Amino acid sequence: MDARRSAAIPRGRTLPSILLLVLVAVLAACGSGAASPSAAVTASVTASPTTNVIESPSPVAAFPVTLTDDEGTNVTIPAEPDQIVTLTNAATETVFALGLGDRVVGKVEDFSVYPPAAADVPDVAKFGSVDVEQIVAAGTDLVIAGGSNFNPPESIARLRQLGIPTVVIFAEDMPGALADIALMGTAVGRPEQAAAIQGDIQEAIDEVGAATAGLDKPRVFYELDATNGFFGPAPDYFGTEMITIAGGDPLTSGTDGVYQIEPEKILEFDPQVILLGDAAYGVTPEQVAARPGWDVLTAVKDGAIRPIDDVIVTRPGPRLGEGLRALALAIHPDLVLPGASASPAASAPPAPSAAASAAP
Amino acid sequence: MLQADAVTVEVRGRAILRDVSLALAVGERVALVGPNGAGKSTLLRALAGTLKPTAGRVLLGGVPIATLDRSEIARRLAVVPQQTALPFAMKVEEVVALGRLPHEDPLRGTRPADRAATAAAIERVGVGHLLGRDARELSLGERQLVLLALSVAQGAPVMLLDEPTVHLDLRHQVEAMELLADLNERDGTALVAVLHDLGLAAHFFPRLVVIDHGRIVADGPPATVLTDELIREVFSVEPALVRLAATATRGRA
Amino acid sequence: MATTPHPARAPGRLAVRLRVGRLGRAGSLALAGVVTLLVVLVGGIVLGTVDLAPATTVAILAKRLAGLDLGIAWAPTAEAIVMDLRLPRVLTAMVVGTGLAVAGCTFQGLLRNPLADPYVLGTASGAALGAAVAVLIPVRTVFLEFGLLHTLAFIGALVSVTVVYRLSRTGPLSPMTSLLLTGYAVGSLLAAGLAMAMYLSGTGLRQIFSYLLGGFDGASWLRLAVAAPLILGGTIAILMRARSLNGFLLGEEAAAHLGVDVRRERAILLALASLVTAAGVAVAGLIGFVGLVIPHLVRLLVGPNARLVLPLSALFGASLLAAADVAARMLGGVPVGVVTAVIGAPFFLLLLRHARSGYEL
Repeated sequence: MDARRSAAIPRGRTLPSILLLVLVAVLAACGSGAASPSAAVTASVTASPTTNVIESPSPVAAFPVTLTDDEGTNVTIPAEPDQIVTLTNAATETVFALGLGDRVVGKVEDFSVYPPAAADVPDVAKFGSVDVEQIVAAGTDLVIAGGSNFNPPESIARLRQLGIPTVVIFAEDMPGALADIALMGTAVGRPEQAAAIQGDIQEAIDEVGAATAGLDKPRVFYELDATNGFFGPAPDYFGTEMITIAGGDPLTSGTDGVYQIEPEKILEFDPQVILLGDAAYGVTPEQVAARPGWDVLTAVKDGAIRPIDDVIVTRPGPRLGEGLRALALAIHPDLVLPGASASPAASAPPAPSAAASAAP
Repeated sequence: MLQADAVTVEVRGRAILRDVSLALAVGERVALVGPNGAGKSTLLRALAGTLKPTAGRVLLGGVPIATLDRSEIARRLAVVPQQTALPFAMKVEEVVALGRLPHEDPLRGTRPADRAATAAAIERVGVGHLLGRDARELSLGERQLVLLALSVAQGAPVMLLDEPTVHLDLRHQVEAMELLADLNERDGTALVAVLHDLGLAAHFFPRLVVIDHGRIVADGPPATVLTDELIREVFSVEPALVRLAATATRGRA
Repeated sequence: MATTPHPARAPGRLAVRLRVGRLGRAGSLALAGVVTLLVVLVGGIVLGTVDLAPATTVAILAKRLAGLDLGIAWAPTAEAIVMDLRLPRVLTAMVVGTGLAVAGCTFQGLLRNPLADPYVLGTASGAALGAAVAVLIPVRTVFLEFGLLHTLAFIGALVSVTVVYRLSRTGPLSPMTSLLLTGYAVGSLLAAGLAMAMYLSGTGLRQIFSYLLGGFDGASWLRLAVAAPLILGGTIAILMRARSLNGFLLGEEAAAHLGVDVRRERAILLALASLVTAAGVAVAGLIGFVGLVIPHLVRLLVGPNARLVLPLSALFGASLLAAADVAARMLGGVPVGVVTAVIGAPFFLLLLRHARSGYEL
């Protein structure tokens, strides 16, 4: 026992090397956070499914299928899934839109549930936690999860370790959102229905593109939250691209992943249109107009403060077309869109809900 | 049995001890006296083996103490702990039981022999009436006795003490001194005690070693050592004050 | 008074009194600890968000662990839940709980500070910063089911303790005071780094945050196989050094005089306790309270003798954390650290008020 020495204390040069490594890593991370303005997205976005799927008319022959999810992981689904769990709101909406709502045995907690039938599906996950036990108990044979830390990576790893095919999606832009719909379609064995949804969305994109071609792009401030400082789109935010496609010039925070915008920046930007993504939480145009110092803004002077349903605009699911049209109309109120539904519900927010709906 | 051989201790260029030689025979008791800063505590630490001299060496039982490992030293030499704040509540008997540490097997813990030695030490020092009490709640005098019992439990033939009567009132000082003398006379434990009270030292210890500015200036029975001249020179006080206490030295010369 | 033995007590009887008093209480506490552990083990396997009949659970365990067929049928999902989800999770919680309690006891004894916990020397801040850096780095690697996050958390914890230890060696203060204060300073610096990393992390913030709150969601057999030897090995090594830890009770100088090789034992105990903490933190994130309070609870009942406190802390630490994890699961995914505090603190206060043994904190 006298010979026992502590092995855990590095000596000499190892320690400074480790510290240097840590320092370099932190600096590298700082550097990568610098902003790079997102390129403008043209109206003609084509979706190319990134899957190697065996196209075939009958769904039975499509399985087993191996597809590559958005994190680059190859996932093999042995048979057409019967017990599906959707861990993002967009996935829930998509699977229901693909006609397989009765096969969804578990979903993530959703404060803006759509379609209404989805409300009957039990919650097996919520913000930041996934109940792996319940998913296993339900005999799940496919899980669609959210990447970029929406669902804890640990839980996703756990599910895969337990042999449950788990497909991870995260859409950073419109092509990504369309690709994800195709991916989900392949995963559940409904590729044609997925293509149809893609087609609808593409139609909306083309329509809005044509209608806004040649129009000036007004400066748009899309407000996500204003309770404690101002929050708007980051350059890599999905909604930023939506605004651009809808014919607007969005104000962003300038840094990827950062959503806080200083008030001076808003004033300097002088938005011509202010869209209230937080209208669902009771923020009204009158409140906004009354903010001290905001009366100098063009949008306030012109009365161009409009509420908008944040969910359909930023949730990369089947209602994107609807969201895009609503957004375009909010930015250009005089626009004529043949595909837009006449109901004002498209632009009005749903009933106020209690907590933030994170919407990848 | 304990011997300092031309020990010099320098700290940051300053010599605390210069060429100090001191020999302690079996069963002897010695008081180290001297003014503050003379180097008494330093000498004690060197004798205990916890301070390595810059020059010279210390021998325990004829063997250089630097070559012995701490467990070995602790079985042959006990240093009464300084009064210190306890982080956790400890019963008196548990404090005393710590004295058996050098004898404990790391894996097997206390044996009946250890428990017997602890009990015997408690009785010997006379703190049996404090059993079960939290050591932190005792008075300074009581705690000093408990620490003394700890060292007695250690069962070493040599005991070193650094100012064991500091903070104690006169009655407890005398009690402690009587106990020490008794331990030496009846049990044969050799003692080296650093004392600041010249009177107590002279009364209870048949051999005084006077240290001044890092050197031994006198070594012998109190009557011989404490000349007027020495008292005036080393301690800067009038000898009459000291004479009063040192009229009769207890114990063997 | 000093020269004659007290008339009422002969040494022999006194010695017996000393022996029975201590062992009796410690022995019954050990028994209680083992029973509690078993109850928590069973509870952790039987309880969960999915209802499983206890009989089914027992049948599954009997078959898989002992090869016995109890004649009860069960669905394969039930088996997966019991064997692949709950059992490794409960065991992981126990192992981590053991490590944290023993490490906390060790730091308290070494630093002679009742407020010390396993994270006092910057391990927590180092681990958190390591985890945050891992989240920022856009690299995904998995080794033995441990991701970059766990690896860097482990390394961060060890590096920060080493830095604290090295920095504290110079200077005029006593080694332990210096260690404590340096740990505080370095920890603050690392916490600032962590705050910066969190600010830059974007969506990774959730991952960093859930790591900071601690949890056993990722528990698996492979992770247990990697972490358990480190934690349990370190714990046993510390247990074998209980004698040295006892020596430190009266301070470093007294310890030296009692035969403890202070420099060596201090370094070894610090290293072992830090290793155990780092491994626990890498597996389960930052879970507080266990390392601080369990040793005190045990001391309230059996005194400060490390030979008793260390193993009993190990037992009760395991039970507390495993029980907290069960409760956390049943309450719908509440962070484990919250549960340990909510269970432990009131219980501790109650015990403080009613301690009859004469021990106080």
